[in-house]
Amino acid sequence: MDFGFGIAPSSTINLDKVDRSRFTRLHELEPDVYKCMACGSCSSTCPAGRFSGMSVRKVILALQRGKEKEAVRMLKGCMLCGKCSMVCPRGINTRHLILSICRIYNEEQQ
Amino acid sequence: MRERFLTGYNDFVLPFMFGMAFILIWCLVGMIRIIAQLPREDRRRFFLSFLNPRILLKDIKDIFCDCLFHVKLWKRNKLLGYMHSSIAFGWFMLIVIGHIEVFFYAPHRAKLLYFPIFFRYFMAEDDSTMGGAFFFFLMDFFLLVVLSGIALAMIKRIHSRFFGMRRTTNPSFMDLVGLYSLWSIFPLRLLAEGFTADISGGSFLTKSLNTVFHAFLGNHVNMLPTWWAYSLALCVFFCALPFTRYMHIPTEILLIPLRNAGVKIRHPRKGYAEAEVYACPSCGVCIDACPMGVMKTHIKDTTVYLNRQLRRHNEERIEEISDKCLLCGKCTAVCPVGVEGDRLRIAQRSLRQYNITPDYSRIDTGELVRECSFSGPTGGKVLYFAGCMTALTPQIRKAVESVLTKAGIGYEMMDRDGGICCGRPMLMAGRFAPAEEMIRKNTEIIRASGASTLLLSCPICYRIFRENYSLDGIEVIHHTEYFDRLIRSGAISLGHTATRYVYHDPCELGRGCGIYDEPRAVIAAAGELVEADKHHKESICCGGSLGSLTLGFDKRQAMTANALNNLTKASPDSIVTACPLCLSTFHRYADRPVEDIAEIVDRNMN
Amino acid sequence: MKENIVIIGGGAAGLEAAGQLIRLGYSPIIVEKEDHLGGHLAEWHCLFPDMTPASDIVGRLAGAVSDANIFTNTEILFINHLKDSYNVMLSNGVSIIARVILFTTGFRLFDAARKEEYGYGIYNQVITNSDLEHWFRTGDDDRIGSVPMEAVGFVHCVGSRDEKAGNAQCSKVCCITAVKQAIEMKKRFPDAMVYCFYMDLRMFGKKYEDFYISAQRDYGVRFIRGRVSEVSENIEGKVVVKAEDTLAGKPVRVTLDLLVLMAGMVCNPDSTKVASMIPLQTDSDGFLKSKDNILEITSSSRKGIFYAGACTGPKTVPETLAEARSAALDIHNFIESL
Repeated sequence: MDFGFGIAPSSTINLDKVDRSRFTRLHELEPDVYKCMACGSCSSTCPAGRFSGMSVRKVILALQRGKEKEAVRMLKGCMLCGKCSMVCPRGINTRHLILSICRIYNEEQQ
Repeated sequence: MRERFLTGYNDFVLPFMFGMAFILIWCLVGMIRIIAQLPREDRRRFFLSFLNPRILLKDIKDIFCDCLFHVKLWKRNKLLGYMHSSIAFGWFMLIVIGHIEVFFYAPHRAKLLYFPIFFRYFMAEDDSTMGGAFFFFLMDFFLLVVLSGIALAMIKRIHSRFFGMRRTTNPSFMDLVGLYSLWSIFPLRLLAEGFTADISGGSFLTKSLNTVFHAFLGNHVNMLPTWWAYSLALCVFFCALPFTRYMHIPTEILLIPLRNAGVKIRHPRKGYAEAEVYACPSCGVCIDACPMGVMKTHIKDTTVYLNRQLRRHNEERIEEISDKCLLCGKCTAVCPVGVEGDRLRIAQRSLRQYNITPDYSRIDTGELVRECSFSGPTGGKVLYFAGCMTALTPQIRKAVESVLTKAGIGYEMMDRDGGICCGRPMLMAGRFAPAEEMIRKNTEIIRASGASTLLLSCPICYRIFRENYSLDGIEVIHHTEYFDRLIRSGAISLGHTATRYVYHDPCELGRGCGIYDEPRAVIAAAGELVEADKHHKESICCGGSLGSLTLGFDKRQAMTANALNNLTKASPDSIVTACPLCLSTFHRYADRPVEDIAEIVDRNMN
Repeated sequence: MKENIVIIGGGAAGLEAAGQLIRLGYSPIIVEKEDHLGGHLAEWHCLFPDMTPASDIVGRLAGAVSDANIFTNTEILFINHLKDSYNVMLSNGVSIIARVILFTTGFRLFDAARKEEYGYGIYNQVITNSDLEHWFRTGDDDRIGSVPMEAVGFVHCVGSRDEKAGNAQCSKVCCITAVKQAIEMKKRFPDAMVYCFYMDLRMFGKKYEDFYISAQRDYGVRFIRGRVSEVSENIEGKVVVKAEDTLAGKPVRVTLDLLVLMAGMVCNPDSTKVASMIPLQTDSDGFLKSKDNILEITSSSRKGIFYAGACTGPKTVPETLAEARSAALDIHNFIESL
C-alpha cells in the first residue's frame, strides 16, 4: 500500500549493524587506511572534488561507517591524479588505497 | 678437397638434426602465433613494411647491428659488447663460411643441412686445396673469436665487476643448462676439428692442436667421440633454447621488423608484448639502471625479472613487479634489444579487474570553458595548463605567469581554479577507458577556448598531450621549450650570472618526450650549466614518480637521496628541474636550493 | 665548589638550570652560540596564557646568572671523553675539563619554505609565527599592515605531525601560540576576520581552554577544522587559501591579506652535531634520547651528561623551566655521589 509517504530511515549509524567484512579485507591490503587523521588535505586539494564531491577522507569514513553507496558515488569521480598522496601528512599511499577499494567494493552490489 | 665417405653421412649428425628440426619448428610456430595474435591493422602494417624498401633496409641494418654486432652494447660497455658480438658474429661467420666451403668443394651436398656444420669430418684435404687454406684460416680465426667471447662470458659469470657491472642476473636452472651447453659447443668443436685436422686440413689453431694431440694421444680413436659430443652439445642447446633466455636470439630477429613496421603493445601478453618478453636476453643491463636498485630488496623487480616471470606466467609476481615500478623508462632507454619495460608494465596493469568504474559524465565542460575562453581575436593565443601537481608548487606557476606577463604575451589559464586531470596518472595505472574520457573532456575545453598554443608546466601532462591527444592545429609545448624559443627569437633576454646550475632531466620530459637540449639552452643563458654524473637519457628518477602504485612514501627516500647524490657530483650551487613532482621531491631532502627553470628565467629576465 | 659544569645553550633551560646551580653553590659555565642569552624566548613578544612579556622572563632568568661564567658567540669545537670526565674545547680557545655537561640545546623552528604549497618565500603575504612575533616586538615588517587587514589566517601544524616533512611529532605549543597570536592580531585589527585552520586543537595546559574560549567568544576568532592544502595568489595580490572544513564536510576557500604559518619545533641540528661528539643517542624524532621517558627524562645514557628543555622534544616554557630545575637537582645529587 502506498500512502504517498514513507517512514524516513533512521539517520543514526548503528555501529552494531555495520558489516565490517569488506573493510577488514581492505585493512589487510592497506594497513595505512587506519592512519588517516581526517585532516582534510586530500579533500581540499582534490581536482575531482569540485565536480563530484570526491574526498578520500570521506570515502574512508563512509566505508568504516558502512555507507558504501556514498563512498562508491564519490569514488566514481576520482581521476587518480595523485595530488592527495602528495599532500597527505601521514604519507598514506592514497592512489593504491583507491585502487584497492575499487577492487574490493562493488558498485552494483549496493 | 675430396669427400671421405660415399654416403656423406654418419650417425653422429642425428642429435644435431633432431635439435635443429625441433628449434626450427618451434620458432616457426612461435612466429606464426605472434603474427596471428597481432591486431588486424598491425598485421597488415607488418606485411606491408616488407614492401617498403626503406623499412626493409632498416630491418636488415638493425638485425646486423643489434643481433650480430651488438652496437648498442658496444656503446654502453665495450667489454660486454665484444663478448656478445664475438659469440654472435663469430658463430654467424662460421656458419656462413661453412656454407661457402660446401658450395665450393661439395656443391652436391649443399642440400644436407648438417654438412656445413660437420664439413671437416666429411672432407679430406688433398693436394688441390691450396685455395682452401684461406678458408682454413678464416674458420680457425672465427672459432678463436667465438672462444674468446666464451672465455669472457665465463669470467663475467664469476666476476661481473670485471665488466663494470655492479649486478648481473641470477640465471634460472634452464638458463644454466643453455649456458653450459652453449659454452661447451665451441671447445668441443675445437677438439673435434683438432683431432681431425691431419685428415681434413686446418689452420693455426686446429693444425697446431692436432700436432699436440699426436704427441701423446696417437691415433684417430678420439675423433668420432668428439664429433658426437659436439653434435650432442648442439642438440642440447637447441632443445633447451626455447626454455632459456637464449630464445632472445631468434625472437629479436622477429622483433626488429615488427618494431620498424610501427607495431606497438596492444595486448599485455600477446603479439608484440610476447615478442618483447622473449627478446629479453637477460643481460641485466636494466638492473644497474633501475633507480629502485639502491635498495637491494627491489633488485628482483627489474624488467629482466618481469620478463622471466611473464615467461613463467607467475601472476602474483607479475602483478607485484608491474605495480611497484616508477615507470621512469630508464630500463627501456638502456635496453640493448628494445624491451619497453615501462609500457609492458602499464599493459600488465590493464589486466586488473575493478568493480568501480569512474564516470566523469557529470563534469560540465561549459563552465570550465567559460573560465579560460579568450576575449577578442583568438589568433596566437596561449592557453596555460599548469597541471594538478603545479598547484602544489606555486613557485612554478607564479614564475611562468610572471615571465609571460613581462614578455607581454596574452594568455589564459586553463586550470586557475583547478581543472580536469590530463589522464596520464590514470593511464599509468592501466585504466585506459577513464583516461580516454578525461582526454575527451580536456580536448573539448581546449578546442572551445580558441587557443592556438597549449603551454604546459608538468612533463606528466606534456607526455600524454603529445602521445594521446589529437589537437591538430594547436601547438603543445612545455615551458622549457617555450622559454628557449622566446630567448632565441629575442622576445626575452636573460642576464648571465656566475651561478652553477645542474639540470635534472625529468623522466617524462627527457626519456618520455626527448626534450634534452632546450632546458639546457635556457639554463646556459642564465648561468653556468654543469652536468650530473648521469644525465640525459641516463638521468636518475627523483623517486617521486606517480608511476609506482605500491611504493609508499617511506620507501622512496633512499632513491631520492641517490638521485641527489648523482646531481651534486659537480658541486652545483643550485639544482634545476622542469617538473613540479621532481621539484617537490628534491626539495624535501636537498642540501641546496632546488628550482624550476621558470624561476631562473623569471629572476634573470632583463 | 670547584666542580666544572658546562651548560650548552643559554636559552630558558640553560639560564634556569644555571641559576639553580648557582644557588646550590656551583659556578656553572654557559656556552651560547648567539651573541645574546634567552634563545627563542628572546625573540618572542609575549607568552600565553597571561600575555607576560617574554623580555621580563628573559630578564629575570638572566639576572639570576649574572655571577656565572658566560661565553656568548661561542660554539663547541669538540668534546673528548676522558676517563671519568669530558674535555670540552670551545671556539674561543678555552678548554674545560668537566665531569658534568648539561645539554640545553633546545629546538629549531621548522623551515616553512620547505612546505612549498604554502608559499612561504613565494608570496609576500605569507609569514611565519616567528616573523609575526618579530613584528609584534619591533613593528618592523613591510609585509604586515601595509594594506588594510581584512582577513588573516593561521595555519596550525606546519611541519609538525607531518611525515612528509620528516616530523611526525606534535609540536605541542603551536595550537595555543596560534590562539594567542590570533587574539593579538584581533586586538590590533579589530575589524579583521581571523581564521585558525587546525587539525586537532590540543589545549592541555593550565588556563589554555579559557584562553581558547575567550578567543572564540570575546575576540570572534573563527576555528576551521581542516588542514590547508593549497595557497595561491589572486589578481589583487591577496592569497587564496584552500582547505576542507571537515566538520561541514565541504571544501572551503578564503581570501586573506595575511597568512601566518605556525612553524613547529624540530630537533636542532647543532644539538645533534654536539651530541654526536660524545656520542649520545638520538630518538626516532631526531631529538636527544633520554635514559627513560618517565623516570629519568633529564638523564642521558652516559655518565655525567644531562638534558633539560626542548633538546629532548617539544616543550612549553613552564615545562622547560621545571625540567631545568630538576636537572640542576639531578646534577647536584650526581656530584654528591661521586
